[in-house]
Amino acid sequence: MSFDADLFESMRLELRRGSLVLAVLARLREERYGYTLRQALAGDGIEMEESTLYPLLRRLETQGLLTSEWREEEKRRKRFYQLSPMGTEMLAALATEWRGINASLDKII
Amino acid sequence: MDLLEHYLGAVAAQLDKDQREDIIAELQDTLLNQFEEKEATLGRSLTDDEREAILREMGHPLVVAARYGKGPQHLAGPDLFPWWLFAVKAGLLIILALHLVDVFFTMFAGLGGFQDAMRHLFIIPFEGGLVWIGIATVAAYVIERTGWRPGFMTEWRVKDLPVLKLSDPEAWRAAMTGEKEKPAAAAWAAPKAPARWPAGEAIFGIIVLGVFIAWWGGFQRSGMEGVTLSRTGELLTVAPVWAANFVPILLLAIGQLWIELLRLMRPQWVRFIAGLQVIAAGVGIAILWTIFEVGHWFTLSQDASSIRVYGGWSQLDFERLWTVGDRAQDIVGNAGAVSLILSWVFVGAMLSLGFSMLRHLLTAIRGKG
Repeated sequence: MSFDADLFESMRLELRRGSLVLAVLARLREERYGYTLRQALAGDGIEMEESTLYPLLRRLETQGLLTSEWREEEKRRKRFYQLSPMGTEMLAALATEWRGINASLDKII
Repeated sequence: MDLLEHYLGAVAAQLDKDQREDIIAELQDTLLNQFEEKEATLGRSLTDDEREAILREMGHPLVVAARYGKGPQHLAGPDLFPWWLFAVKAGLLIILALHLVDVFFTMFAGLGGFQDAMRHLFIIPFEGGLVWIGIATVAAYVIERTGWRPGFMTEWRVKDLPVLKLSDPEAWRAAMTGEKEKPAAAAWAAPKAPARWPAGEAIFGIIVLGVFIAWWGGFQRSGMEGVTLSRTGELLTVAPVWAANFVPILLLAIGQLWIELLRLMRPQWVRFIAGLQVIAAGVGIAILWTIFEVGHWFTLSQDASSIRVYGGWSQLDFERLWTVGDRAQDIVGNAGAVSLILSWVFVGAMLSLGFSMLRHLLTAIRGKG
C-alpha cells in the first residue's frame, strides 16, 4: 500500500459514519433489541461497536424516529426498538437521498 | 461484587439520575449476552480475565457514559475552535506586551523593588495567561452548549478583519521593530512564496546579535562595576563564572551572527545552515550547563553587606516560585528571589535550546524548514 494506512482508516470511518444511521433505521423496520440488531448488522457486513450503537439508538429515540419498550425474553428484561411512523418517513427520505448520492458518485468514480 | 457490577457501577456514577437505571439495565443485558455467547463458543464458564477483556472491549466507563451525554462531547467544537485559538493567542500576546511595559516602569522608573519587577516579569504573566485561557475555555463551553453565536462571528465585515493580526507574533514583532508590513495580497499573488519571510527573521536576528555582541564586548569593563537595580540602591555584580565564559559566549554570539548572515545571503543552503544551528544550540546548552553547575552567578550588595546569588537544582521548586513575591524586601530576600528566578530562566533556556536543536536537526535531515 503506497498511502498512509492510518489516514485510510480515518477516511474510511468518516465515510461509513454517515451511513450507520441509515443502516440502523433500515434494520429496525422489524422490532429488535440491541444485541440482535448488532448481530443482524454484522451479518449485513456492517460492524458496529456496542458503545456506538446504544447511544445512537437512544438519540434516534429522543428524536422521535424510534419507539422502544421493555419486555422479558429468555428470562431477562430487554429493550426492544422499532421504527416509529416518523422514522419510517425519515428512512424513506434518507434512502432516496442515499440512492441519489450513490448514482452521482457512480458516474464520477 | 463481581467485575460486571464494578463496571456498571462505574458507568452509572457518570450518568444523570433520570436515565441511569434505564441505560445500566440495557448495558447489563448486552454484556451478559456477550458473556453467554463467549461461554457457548468455549464450552465452559469464563475466567475473570476473559470477562474483563469483554468489558474492556466495551470501553472505559468514562467514555461509555460520555457517549450517552446529551450535550456536545467537546469544550469547543470545530466551528468554535478557531475563535477560541485566536482569543487565546491574541490574549496571551496582549498580556505579554502589557507586562513588558509594566516591568519597564517597575524596574527602571523606580516604581517598585527588584522582586516586584521579577514578579511582574515572570509570575503575573504566567498566572494571567492561565486565567485568560480558563476564561476563553469557559466562554467556549457556554457558547457551544447554548448554541448562541455572538454577532462578530456571524455578521463579520471585511473592514474589521485587521484585528485578527493581534494573534500573529510576526505582526507584533514588525510593530515593535518598525518593519514595514508586506501586503497580504502579495503572498496570495505568488503561491510559491514562503508564508514567512526568512530574510526578515535573519535581519531581526542580526540586529539583536549585533547589539548583544557590542554590549558583551564591553562587558568586562562595565559589567564588573555592577548594576544598580532599583531605588533601594542594591548593586548587582557578576561572579567570576561570567568572566571565565566571556570568550565562549562571545564566540557563540559571533557564530550565531554568521549563521544569520548566511540565512540572509544564502537562504538556499538549508541543510548546511540547519547543521550549523544544531551545533550552535549544542554549544549554547554546554555553556549554560557549565554556568548553571557553577552556581554562584552574582553578588548582591548594599552598604556594607553583601550576599551571593546562587542557583542550582535545589532552586527548582514550584512552591517557592509562587511565593517569590512574599519574600522580605531586603537584600537577603532580593538575593533569594534572583537566585530562584534565574535558576528557572536557565532551565527554560536550556530546554528551549534543546527543542531548537531538535527542530534544526529535523530540518537538516529533511532538507526543508
